[in-house]
Amino acid sequence: MMSRTEEDFELELRSLAGVLNVSMSHRESGDIDVVTLVVNTKESEATQSVASQIASLYYPDATVIVDDTSQLLSLQRDLGSRVAFVRADYDTADGTCEVQLTIDGRMGVGRAGSGPLIGGAEATLAALRDLGYDVPFSLLTVTNVTNGRDWPVVVTLRSNDNNGDRFGIAKADDDLISAAKATLDSLNRFITTDTI
Amino acid sequence: MSLKEGVVADSQPVLPGTTPAETEAQIVEFPGQFYEPWLFQTMLGELNTRELGVGFIYSILNQFAARHALNDVVVTLSHDSFGTQLFRLGGQPISAELAVRLSTEPGVYCEPDKVPAVECDAVRTACQLAMALHRARFGATHDPLTKIANRRSFDEAMEMAAARSARYGWAFTVVLVDLNDFKRVNDLSGHHVGDDMLRQFGFALRQAVRQGDTAARIGGDEFAVILSNVEGHEASGFTERLRARLLAMNVMIDFTTGTASSPRDSADPAELLRIADGRLYEKKGMRR
Repeated sequence: MMSRTEEDFELELRSLAGVLNVSMSHRESGDIDVVTLVVNTKESEATQSVASQIASLYYPDATVIVDDTSQLLSLQRDLGSRVAFVRADYDTADGTCEVQLTIDGRMGVGRAGSGPLIGGAEATLAALRDLGYDVPFSLLTVTNVTNGRDWPVVVTLRSNDNNGDRFGIAKADDDLISAAKATLDSLNRFITTDTI
Repeated sequence: MSLKEGVVADSQPVLPGTTPAETEAQIVEFPGQFYEPWLFQTMLGELNTRELGVGFIYSILNQFAARHALNDVVVTLSHDSFGTQLFRLGGQPISAELAVRLSTEPGVYCEPDKVPAVECDAVRTACQLAMALHRARFGATHDPLTKIANRRSFDEAMEMAAARSARYGWAFTVVLVDLNDFKRVNDLSGHHVGDDMLRQFGFALRQAVRQGDTAARIGGDEFAVILSNVEGHEASGFTERLRARLLAMNVMIDFTTGTASSPRDSADPAELLRIADGRLYEKKGMRR
């Protein structure tokens, strides 16, 4: 169980501006050895200095390391957020698929019939449209490269203005998820770099 | 080991011995999503031994992982009072890359990820509550500028020390510390310089006290320290340590102290403070 002192120490570090995570390693004696802070701040050196001061009050022999994410975060902002797959369900009773996607905390749900392969791809396109994207592509083919399990699915999308096709490939536990992820694979670069 | 994005909700939890309709009714009866029985038990168990805090978050994550045989769990919290915070199972380190990936969206990320989303929500809410309560408790008992105890905590510590002294005969000394010419610092250099000086003085004070002593800011430039098992002139050791700390930190401010000891001067906390205050202003008068 964490001691009250250690709890307050961690809280005080987490109260510093821009600190996202605190982790501590202990010596065999139980004393804190290394404290690692993950921060998102332009002033990570100042954070390290203050954190070291705080550590000197609680655990004078502890070493403080600061891991700065600000560069990675700005890189991520430059690249844009990516659409992520959340879940996919197939209703065997009526043959419909439902796919759920997310981006920046928003959820989109798409449904389609026609089985797990084609339905999975179509439901993914519908979920993207539910997220607000105007996807100027239509489904051309969905192919499972073999009839066995655990083989990849290839999706081909045709541009509405006949400006070239896009291909995506993915392998998952079942055809439905493979089809959904292959559809995303074909579009992710398009989605993240183009303003739709 | 990698964490998968998002959480796959594979089933809705049903309370033992209930139909789905009854479950719905019970969810309404227990708002706030704390209807996971194991979570209730954990919280009650923790409350029996101590207050909810950062340690409780790790307790929850450990139990959550054990229940679902999870290899790894990260909970991302986000709240106005503490911004974004990430906690990982067992207090394991989080890489900058992982922090970037997870910090943009609050949630519970686990490996493997087949955990009912509703239970993830309950875990996250409980963690969020523990973090907020710990912050609130720390804020209610500490001075926000110097992070040492505030007046309220000091009064409680004085009562406690006096009670122990009366019962067991343990001596203690209260030291009142007043910064000299602090008003001039504020007037000439501005309040931001004054605040910085108070912050540094508070830091030096924290370094100068021993474990078990209490250092508090009880007014604008007035500080107080309770030294356990110290009587009379023995308090000069603390004053020397404080001066040495200020010198080492290159903080150019002088201070005056007034001390009173229990049980020698009085057993009553209010009377002790009055005596210490009188001695402080006696010295201040001499200084002027």
